[in-house]
Amino acid sequence: MAETVVLARPEQLSEAGQAALRGLMRAWFDFERRLSRVPMIQRLEIGTFTKADYLQLLLNLRQQVVEGSRWISRCASSFDRDHADIRSVILGHAHEEHRDYEVLEHDYVTAGGDLAAIRSHLRNPGSEALHGYMMYRASEPNPVGLLGAMWIVEGLGEKMAKDWAMRISDLPGVGEAGTRFLRYHGQNDQNHLSKLYALLDRLCTSEAIAADILRTAAVVGRLYALQLEEVDVE
Amino acid sequence: MPAGARARSLSAYVTSTGSFLPGPPIDNDQIEDILGLIDGRPSRLKSRILKANGIRTRHYAMDREHRTTHSNTELAVAAARHCMQASPVPMRSLRLLSCATTQGDLVIPGFGSMVQAGLGMPEVELHTTHGICSSGVMAIRAAVNSLRVGDQPNALVVVSELASRLFKHTRYEAAGGQFNMDFDAEFLRWMLSDGAGAWLLEREPRGRCLRVDWIRSYSHADSLPVCMSIGRPTDSTDGRSWQDFPTYAEAEAAGALLIRQDVRLLDHIVKLGVDGALRLIGEGLLDMQRLDHLLCHYSSHHFRSRIFDMLQMCGAGVPDEKWFTNLYTKGNTGCASILIMLDDFLKEGRAQPGETLLCVVPESGRFNMAYMHFTVVET
Repeated sequence: MAETVVLARPEQLSEAGQAALRGLMRAWFDFERRLSRVPMIQRLEIGTFTKADYLQLLLNLRQQVVEGSRWISRCASSFDRDHADIRSVILGHAHEEHRDYEVLEHDYVTAGGDLAAIRSHLRNPGSEALHGYMMYRASEPNPVGLLGAMWIVEGLGEKMAKDWAMRISDLPGVGEAGTRFLRYHGQNDQNHLSKLYALLDRLCTSEAIAADILRTAAVVGRLYALQLEEVDVE
Repeated sequence: MPAGARARSLSAYVTSTGSFLPGPPIDNDQIEDILGLIDGRPSRLKSRILKANGIRTRHYAMDREHRTTHSNTELAVAAARHCMQASPVPMRSLRLLSCATTQGDLVIPGFGSMVQAGLGMPEVELHTTHGICSSGVMAIRAAVNSLRVGDQPNALVVVSELASRLFKHTRYEAAGGQFNMDFDAEFLRWMLSDGAGAWLLEREPRGRCLRVDWIRSYSHADSLPVCMSIGRPTDSTDGRSWQDFPTYAEAEAAGALLIRQDVRLLDHIVKLGVDGALRLIGEGLLDMQRLDHLLCHYSSHHFRSRIFDMLQMCGAGVPDEKWFTNLYTKGNTGCASILIMLDDFLKEGRAQPGETLLCVVPESGRFNMAYMHFTVVET
């Protein structure tokens, strides 16, 4: 019975969709600059990042990755029957990602970390805030604003794969075998973009919705950066 | 003051342009004949870097024996003379001289002092800016502001680069030669070259000229590391500046006088360049649909692929036929590039009255993105 729902890339976007896309691009660039101010990411960019930094990063990412598939599933279930196509797309996504954390744990152990330690590690304050906000938004009826969250989180996945994975796999004792999680999200960029255009075309039908999408992107960007800032606090 | 007079007093116009490129065009096969072979061996990175930047010819103010054929000041003076020869405004009536370069012939005084002396301009107000590619826009900005507040009736902006002196093989050999060289230290050797440009700015339009609509820039040094620099040693764990070494000879041996580009950070320049443009669209200053010409100090092929696709989809794309560049034949002359580019563009005669023009100057030094918008007017 189940068919895979694929949203087709639109020829062009409406004016509201174009304005929202411009806003999302700016939200992304702002998020990237925010990341570049995080001390750990600064070390990564200037080449002083160490394996200990990497272990600490994975330790702090794991809880959010575990929770990620929960808020994606919650988001799917909050869409009503008029958004059945959207629900299908999101459920497919949740299915794809719901065991990502196992890859991350494997990388952690490969790089010399202790499995029991990462499994028992608590969410850092930034992860708490991010998770709380995501679950709250995903519980609202038809949470279209979360398109802004998807943009930031998927964009970061691609950034990890393109900008971070190579630098980190060069570290002694890490290698490609220890960076599978980071690499994983760099695949199918073009599909990600087509999906974004399709979702914007489908969902961004008013200025109020566009504003909600951009607001959500801004909040998620801030909270994600907070989660990474907290990596250094411990 | 009547509204019309106020509007006029707030305007500045580019009424003449000039440029100077030293010597004959040097093609890719001749570069190492001039700059020399490091340790007597051809570069292994050269063809890869040239393929990426697309530059086919450039000019050097240096001969095969590494004798400087024109000082940086002389390049600037020649461009300024070309600019003023094309205008009825006498050199002696100029009131403000605004100059920029990355490295003058002297460490001090400011480059503008040397250019003023070279031009023999009496009693001008003088301005010199400091930086890399965007310092040319800063010099233009200072001149435009001075005209707009009514302090000066005219200004000559002269911007010049003599980068080739940094690229002599002997410089690299003094820093340990090929054995000690990384990609970052060699990258700009195949990128930068010499040249100068000049613009005359006046408060009133003259003939067919450009009205300065606005100039904006956004710097991101607070969020990103240094990307292009001179002054840091090859060993990245050594935090000393070139001036912290006991002698300059020791600084040179440590590689602290080499010009470097952290190429891993270069992606940021395209993104931040686009970010600034989107910000200007958001502010209502820039309308990409109504833009007629785009002059960018960065080759258009860097805007391909993903970000290009997104620009098209969000309504901020600029079709190929609106791009103008002389980068491939005149080379990348740093802060002088945009002035030389506008000179070539205007001399082609494409610009028609009423058309709009955007100049974009992204500086990778520590990420300063500058934009200038003009409208072609005719009196």
